[in-house]
Amino acid sequence: MRKLLVLLTVGLSLAGAAPCAAQGVLRVALGTTLSQLDPAKTTIGDEYVYVHLVFNGLSRIESDMTVKPDLAESWSASEDLKTWTFKLRQGVKFHHGRVLDAEDVVATMKRILDPATGSRARTSLSMVDSVSMVDAQTVKFDLNIAYAGFADIFADRQLRIVPKDKLGELSIHPVGTGPFMFKSWSPGDRLELVKNPDYFEKGLPRLDGVMLRIVPESAARMAALESGAVDIVWSMPYESVEKFKNHAAVRTDGVSTPTWDGVILNNERPPFNDVRVRQALALTIDKAAIVELALFGQGDPTFSPIPPSHPYFNKSLKFNPPDIAKARKLLADAGYPNGFDVPMQVPQEREQRVRVGVAVRDMARAAGIRINVERVPFASYTANVAGKAQMYVDGYFARPTVDTAIHPFYHSSGSWNKQLWLYKDARVDQLLDDARKTNDEAARKAIFEKFQTVVEETVPGIIAYSAAHVNGVSKKVEGFRSTPMQWLELKSVSLKP
Amino acid sequence: MAAYVARRIVLIALVLLAVSILVFAITTLLPANVAYLILGPFAPPEQVRALELKLGLTDPVWQQYLRWASRFLSGDLGESMLMNRPIAPMLMEALGRSLVLTSVSFVLIAVIGVGLGVVAALRHGRPLDHGVSVATYLGIAVPEFFWAIVIIVIFAAWLGWLPASGYEPLSAGFRIWAQHLIAPTITLVFGHLAHVSRLTRSSMIEVMQSPYVTAARAKGLPERVVVLRHALRNALLPTITVLALDFGRLMGGIVVVETIFAYPGLGRLVVFSIQNRDIPTLQAAILVVAAIYAFANLVADLLYAWLNPKIRYGNAA
Amino acid sequence: MPPDAAPRKTWSLQLKAGLAITGAIVLLGLLAPWIAPHPWDTISMRTRFLPPNPTYWLGTDEYGRDVLSRLLMGTRLSLAMGVSATAVSLAIGVPVGLAAGYFRGWVDEVLMRGADVLMAVPPIMLGLLVLAVTPPALWKTALAVGFVYIPQIARLARSVTLSLANEDFIQAARARAEGTGYILFREILPNAWPPLIVEASLRVTYAILLGSALSFLGLGAQPPSSDWGLMISEARSFLDRAPWIALAPGLAMCLLVIGINLLGDGARERLDPRLKSRAGAA
Repeated sequence: MRKLLVLLTVGLSLAGAAPCAAQGVLRVALGTTLSQLDPAKTTIGDEYVYVHLVFNGLSRIESDMTVKPDLAESWSASEDLKTWTFKLRQGVKFHHGRVLDAEDVVATMKRILDPATGSRARTSLSMVDSVSMVDAQTVKFDLNIAYAGFADIFADRQLRIVPKDKLGELSIHPVGTGPFMFKSWSPGDRLELVKNPDYFEKGLPRLDGVMLRIVPESAARMAALESGAVDIVWSMPYESVEKFKNHAAVRTDGVSTPTWDGVILNNERPPFNDVRVRQALALTIDKAAIVELALFGQGDPTFSPIPPSHPYFNKSLKFNPPDIAKARKLLADAGYPNGFDVPMQVPQEREQRVRVGVAVRDMARAAGIRINVERVPFASYTANVAGKAQMYVDGYFARPTVDTAIHPFYHSSGSWNKQLWLYKDARVDQLLDDARKTNDEAARKAIFEKFQTVVEETVPGIIAYSAAHVNGVSKKVEGFRSTPMQWLELKSVSLKP
Repeated sequence: MAAYVARRIVLIALVLLAVSILVFAITTLLPANVAYLILGPFAPPEQVRALELKLGLTDPVWQQYLRWASRFLSGDLGESMLMNRPIAPMLMEALGRSLVLTSVSFVLIAVIGVGLGVVAALRHGRPLDHGVSVATYLGIAVPEFFWAIVIIVIFAAWLGWLPASGYEPLSAGFRIWAQHLIAPTITLVFGHLAHVSRLTRSSMIEVMQSPYVTAARAKGLPERVVVLRHALRNALLPTITVLALDFGRLMGGIVVVETIFAYPGLGRLVVFSIQNRDIPTLQAAILVVAAIYAFANLVADLLYAWLNPKIRYGNAA
Repeated sequence: MPPDAAPRKTWSLQLKAGLAITGAIVLLGLLAPWIAPHPWDTISMRTRFLPPNPTYWLGTDEYGRDVLSRLLMGTRLSLAMGVSATAVSLAIGVPVGLAAGYFRGWVDEVLMRGADVLMAVPPIMLGLLVLAVTPPALWKTALAVGFVYIPQIARLARSVTLSLANEDFIQAARARAEGTGYILFREILPNAWPPLIVEASLRVTYAILLGSALSFLGLGAQPPSSDWGLMISEARSFLDRAPWIALAPGLAMCLLVIGINLLGDGARERLDPRLKSRAGAA
């Protein structure tokens, strides 16, 4: 007993001293460890946070979702939109001192295009026939189709520029051009970045460094924020948002994004190869309830990857309340008068998607669709689930443009389509091809509105909502705004002393 | 004695060999291999196959195993397939941190557990005894992850006394290093106290009623001396074997505790490598764990044998 | 002739308490489908996060489901996990231990070294590994947990057999040229049961705890199941706003484990007070 008291006293005397932040180092808590430091190979949101701080692309996306020049100071396209020329900014230095030139860009692109690298971005460049250096400051891309928004693609994460002489070491000692430089990585624990004194945007960054701490347990992450051990919790758990609405030391900074979660249905395997069955499932779903259950209200129901805040959102389409009778009739017509049983995979590491799964299961039951939920780790998802399972819950981050968010997913030749629902609709193909050929805003809006109507009718899958992205931010942090791309924009951020 | 130790060490080596084969065998049944993870969803099948070839994943299992084993024995623990970095430094760091956590917890379990057991025995049948029972029972009757979360919510979020998670190296200052250890240590200790305290209590009770202790009392020795020098030494014997087993149990406890407290040790490494199908890392980590476990048992047995001849009823104190 | 049993003692307080607690929980679990006041898996948007009140005695969770009803249904799952896992351990561990203890020699060596190998890795890691190879399901977890605890049962069976094998009644049976099977199962086993039963009761609690840890790590019960481990795991995000969701299954598990422990200890004291206490044996 005495020993217990001694321990308690010792414990209490040690309490109260949180590790001080070295002045000017911002501490961020992430929920999943980084498997990859090589930007071309990154795949998860937590890795993208790091990529955005250390690397730049040819173009960048501002927080109002407009595309501006970054490493390329300007670009131009040929008449037929098949040849694109990028002029690089002068005097941009990599973190190891060498000045960026066209060879680095070519090397980066060739590497991404090489299947052996295994980059997710390879399909983003599927329209590229060749990339070549014109002179030390100019890079030329030859495309095999006319593509109006080509420059926008380069704002994406995996397409950031890396030095040609460090390609082999990117996993151990990454080198980029970004506002922060890599210092050290302790796998599973923390990633340390320091200020890049030669960053090409003068006066930036304001911070001395950034420390990314990996804290998988959400209770621990929020406790760290509350106690001041970290300054920002990236993508804080939705259930905690309400608690911090009126907190003394912490604020929540949220923004709506095109990031979506939904139920993916395999259009080629029974029972969902029959459009009536898919429609029946859709008729049981109450999307507003799912937003409440999965996101605690921080999101909006949507029909497709186009979020309600987007100008192209089809406002004349309605979110109908569930119609169980009609669902049952459709199922009976399709040959399932007594419903059917089906397994559904949900990703283990994403609580909100598990909740979507549980909600959908309960809703579908009313029509006789008996779903069996299975939690599966991401590793298994890629190998066994994506594009193969009959139904599963999945979600995707915001893409730089509407075309990149939709074409690969819905066009019958789309790369992501084959890994998802294997959807084929001639009308959709036509619409998406047309959209690529025009730069007229009004025309594109009409095309995408029609697209949403067709997709609502044919139900490749059920996209439940566009999710908000909310960061937990200490009130000592100045100048921070969340961005719909869901990375952290930290170059103009500073810490109150 | 030396022959016994040598024999045991050989046995341990054989057991480790068998464990490595067992783990390797199980991993061949894993439904996805790391090539999928590395290349992602768009890799054409030929690409996945090419990477599998390069990583040696297409070779017959026994061949993969022999290749791995021969490298391992020559000190090359290989590279993590997923993270493209050598395993050995990662593993050693993780091991060090886990050893710190388990050692501190172990010492506290031993000291507090025995202390509580003695106190309960001396006051057995009385409220204090029952109180100790209930308190320690709570520790083992509820899963560790429950107490871990409760500790985080109460002590870290609500009271702000303790950091919620993570690890700070000793170089950051003793106070800070110790602070980060407190919460995971308390969780581990609380979860294992009961075994030690209950055993100590029951064997103390037995010993206190033995003729040996009665004789010591009759000699007029002060009660404190009777308890500490005569009774305790004999009562501790079974406790020591349990303590060694507890060290092994702690190795299991760290899996959950390290995960919740984001403590970057061996337990977390094992979970991560299983979930991500990183076979070389998994093999290395599990072997290290098994080796520690085996050596803990060996030490316990040796300790028992060493203490035994010295502790005899009627021996001069 | 079996050795003289210790003189019958009255049922100790421990035994009575253990029986009462465990019995009550088992009974509640068995009757759950009939006594649960509300459906355990129906989502109800309007009743989310209600604290305990007269309609929902233990409050509601993040989906609006009644915590008490889920707890009751979960009782069956936890009990089933504990009992079936232990049954697996016994079914394989007891014969292995009997054989090792009776035959000695190389049979003993091989079996015990095999047990050593399984015991070389902490149970939770072995469980994680084994369950990673297949899509998760509660019955698979029960099997895995049972498998993982085989060595401990085998060792106990072996040591009991060793101590019994030289007793007179065994020699007599051998002298009568009784078959090995007969000796093992009709002579040794009936006398070996007491310590095995006591150990088995403790094993049930270990199985329940290990099963819940595996559920916590994502293997084991799947949502929306109301397995207690899963309930605690899902409730931890809401511990500050709705602690009852996690506290209810936590306390229930606590009660059950304590009840079984008391039962086991009480039974041990009653069956043979001379038995060395096995408290703390992994």
